[in-house]
Amino acid sequence: MSYRKSTSGWRWTRALVAGAMGITLATTVLSATAGAASTPGVTSSSVNIGATVPLTGPAAPGYSEIAPAMGALFSWVNAHGGVNGRKINYTYLDDGYNPANTATQTRKLVLQDNIFADVGSLGTPTQAAVQGFLNSQKVPQLFIESGCNCWSNSKFPGSSGWQPPYTVEGKILGAYIKSSFAGKKVGYLFQADEFGQDFVKGLDQELPAASVVSRQNYDVATLAGPLSNQMAALKAAGAQVVAMATIPAATALAMLPAAVIGYSPQYVVSNVGADAPTVGPLLSAFAQKGGATAAQVAAVGGLLNGVITDAYFSPESNVSNPWVQVEKKLLAKYAPSLYAKSGLDGNTQYGIALAYTFVQALQAAGKNLTRAGLLAAIAKSGKSFVTPGFVPLSYSSSVHYGFQGAEVIKLSSTAPPAVTPSGSWIGGTAVSPVEVTNVGSGPVKKYTGKISAPPKSLSKSA
Amino acid sequence: MSLFFNYTLNGISNGMIYSALALALVLIFRATKIINFAQGAAGMMTTFIASSLLAHGVSYWWAFVLVLAIGFAFGAMTERILIRPLQGKSELNPVIVTIGLLVVLEGVAGAIYGNASRGFPAAYSQSGLTFGHSRIAFSHFDVFILVAVLVLMIAILILFRATTLGLRMRASAFAGEISRLLGVRVGILLTLGWGLAGIAGSLTGLLVAPTSSFGPYYMDLVLVYAFTGAVIGGLESPVGALIGGLVTGLCISYVGGYLGSGLEPMGALVLLMVALMARPEGLFSRPAARRV
Repeated sequence: MSYRKSTSGWRWTRALVAGAMGITLATTVLSATAGAASTPGVTSSSVNIGATVPLTGPAAPGYSEIAPAMGALFSWVNAHGGVNGRKINYTYLDDGYNPANTATQTRKLVLQDNIFADVGSLGTPTQAAVQGFLNSQKVPQLFIESGCNCWSNSKFPGSSGWQPPYTVEGKILGAYIKSSFAGKKVGYLFQADEFGQDFVKGLDQELPAASVVSRQNYDVATLAGPLSNQMAALKAAGAQVVAMATIPAATALAMLPAAVIGYSPQYVVSNVGADAPTVGPLLSAFAQKGGATAAQVAAVGGLLNGVITDAYFSPESNVSNPWVQVEKKLLAKYAPSLYAKSGLDGNTQYGIALAYTFVQALQAAGKNLTRAGLLAAIAKSGKSFVTPGFVPLSYSSSVHYGFQGAEVIKLSSTAPPAVTPSGSWIGGTAVSPVEVTNVGSGPVKKYTGKISAPPKSLSKSA
Repeated sequence: MSLFFNYTLNGISNGMIYSALALALVLIFRATKIINFAQGAAGMMTTFIASSLLAHGVSYWWAFVLVLAIGFAFGAMTERILIRPLQGKSELNPVIVTIGLLVVLEGVAGAIYGNASRGFPAAYSQSGLTFGHSRIAFSHFDVFILVAVLVLMIAILILFRATTLGLRMRASAFAGEISRLLGVRVGILLTLGWGLAGIAGSLTGLLVAPTSSFGPYYMDLVLVYAFTGAVIGGLESPVGALIGGLVTGLCISYVGGYLGSGLEPMGALVLLMVALMARPEGLFSRPAARRV
């Protein structure tokens, strides 16, 4: 009897547990459905955004500073009440610049961390790997840190770039070569992927085909030693100007073997590959040999001296620029450990400016925040966002590129040295006015508009 | 023609470096019949130590000698601590351990020194030698690479061929049990083989660093090419390592120069396949007697 009783008791317990589980499940499903009706990642007091960036691996040097610098600007925003009462929660995950990892980490951000938008993720191959996924999930893929032409594509309405497309850079530098080095033989050295190819596309639009005597490339996956053969071929072809779409390490690995064979063409290097704080130390070790004197080491500055490149916002060595001053204060206050380590450099400046662009997009999207509303707000008012860029952003409903202009600068080792803790020892001077163009066949022309000053709210409270 | 000449000089300079690391692989393979995948990473680690020494004001040549000694100690310790306990177990085990060591060393170097590429000084000027009025693609430092690798190679040949220590080393590698019965202290000689390989690995690290983007991963591709050279040379012969490394260096330089730099690793692979199809034992090893 007691046996039976206990059995029926057990049965009841089971029924109760099952019932409770059923109710829990039902509520979960219901609440999930209710959640889907509102916007994922958005509450009345917060908005979750995420990114995948290289914190480790070969692309990490320099680039790993960008996301923490974005974090510094968001901390400033949050300390002042957030945007429309919402604090920004920014999660960035490491993908090691490996597209396979990017896919996994992006899925985690979307499905697990429930992000509202993917903001400021880095890399061409990495972001191309998740462009389809993010767009199919209707997650905006905003301000990708790459100049690939592929971000402005009507098939992927949620994607947009931020920095000048590589073709725009190629056109502006190509136009400069055509006017300033007229009649000289030009050779190319480019990375054999979208970065190099898009850049070359721009150069080819501006330069007469007959003046291009040699086209050399390298594979970034096997970039280990000096690019001796490429430089020997450029020398043999008689190239007097060498236009390079190279990452910083490749710039150094090209200039070194050229110097070995006594080849010193006029170098014209893309913005990415002319980052002096990265390239400089690589080059200075070159001249250094067992027991080299300080003077000998200093002589290497010569290799970067006179290099032509382009800039689309004021470099950190321009200490009198109001944006540079604000950015420095902001970074020192809201990311002190990053500031102590790398100081204000091109990468941290980039992160701050990009984050500020996103904050303005949130403001423009208004109180009732939706993904479609955010994209519409960028298309409508993106052109008027305030940035340190020399030209305004060019967002519209059909154009998803950011800046489409830059000025040509000449690096010089005589400019004021050492303004960052990491030691930027090479400055530069502008050799062209700020110029604008587009990815298509539009001409390169002088920009006549204004350059924005930092907003009062930022310069006062940072 | 001048292009071919330049590609050849680049090939020789790179080939000598592959030879040095191939020699390290061969020394270890002779002694313990395993491939040490951490050989390049060990050279990377010791070069970082050299970099720290230089930063603290130690002169280049002192650092050079010290680091070769450290390389020797590191190689010997690896054998004693990590490889010896696996003796008699599956041959795969020590190989897996060396791959693990590779990952750990690259991780540790990244954690201590950061992942950024940096520069490393060369022993001699890296401007090309001048003959008459023309400058060739072979620098004073390339001459040093050539001489340093040849000196190491000759020293090891003399050790093996002309000293009783070398004879014992060869004997203990060739027939460990019999040598032990004859009173040779096989254990210490195996350790010595790993130590010598450590010297060759450290030397490679020091020679590669000035002309590459020196960082935790800069030896990875060098190891792949050195391995190609070592296999072509037969994995057992120091002379084979020298020739194999040179052939690999030249082949990669021509492939990169004439066909495109993206095809360099493919070129190494094709070279490896052709060489193994023509002579499966490698160019410089005696064919093994067939066991009946």
